[in-house]
Amino acid sequence: MSTPARSWTARARERAVGALPPDKLLPDRQPSYMSSWIYIFGVLSLTSLIVVIGSGSILSLKGPGWWHFTGIGHFFNSIHLWSVELFFFFMVIHLWGKYWMAAWRGGRAKVWMTGAVTFVVAIPCALTGYVSQQNFDAQWISTQAKDAFNAVGIGSFFNLTNFGQMYSYHVLLLPMAVVGLVVAHILLVRKHGIVPPFALADRLGNEPVERDVAAEPILPPTPTEHGSVHTPDSGNGVASEPDRVPAEGTS
Amino acid sequence: MTAAIFNLNHPANTVHWHFFFMSVSNVVVIVLMVVVFAGAILLPFPHRGGHGDST
Repeated sequence: MSTPARSWTARARERAVGALPPDKLLPDRQPSYMSSWIYIFGVLSLTSLIVVIGSGSILSLKGPGWWHFTGIGHFFNSIHLWSVELFFFFMVIHLWGKYWMAAWRGGRAKVWMTGAVTFVVAIPCALTGYVSQQNFDAQWISTQAKDAFNAVGIGSFFNLTNFGQMYSYHVLLLPMAVVGLVVAHILLVRKHGIVPPFALADRLGNEPVERDVAAEPILPPTPTEHGSVHTPDSGNGVASEPDRVPAEGTS
Repeated sequence: MTAAIFNLNHPANTVHWHFFFMSVSNVVVIVLMVVVFAGAILLPFPHRGGHGDST
């Protein structure tokens, strides 16, 4: 039996499987506290994004003459518009929910940051779509946005009235950024798990993120078990739980 | 060209109160988001049959 290869592919595989073993990447159980409507807005945002990408791909194949002057083109144009509206609608509610849950708790800072940056990057992605419509609406929005960009001092980097530039941003650069960020966001959610409610986090003593909460039903808050005073960094206080820490043993 | 369901051939209706200035359509969307957000927190989530949790 040979020793494990130390090529970059082997190292990358070991790191990937260590960070996201298959049962974590595609779990079949979730914590019971996920049974709340507030937890569905992430997947609704993702679903909207899939429709956005799909309808946008069809529009890009057919072109402005099709989406302006044919019935089916109008239909797909509307699908694209309204899926974007829903994407932002759901994403804002997702953002509100996670903000008030302080979803960056328990080592989830990167999860929060990738989500917030996705929201910020999605805004110019939508704007470049509005100015790529090839109609008077686009002309009006592009000239207004040009003034706004000039006013904040970034007008020399972006030409809002240049259709080619805006279209490239809209169909390639910014969607790639949004999709890349969303993939990273989802993988980080898989790695760290969804954030528990405040009461449960207090009960568990703010324990490490690797805890397998999927197997634990939520319990009524009986605050006397581990003492009534919670300190934010009392983290590893609950030692009885065999946490699933990756075996890499990083120092 | 098919006509819009609503007559859009006029300047946007706006809500203007002191410093606050926003189109009615944007106000409607924001109010709707707040209502959905409140509903998501307050409305009970349907549980599957079988063993229910104690909470």
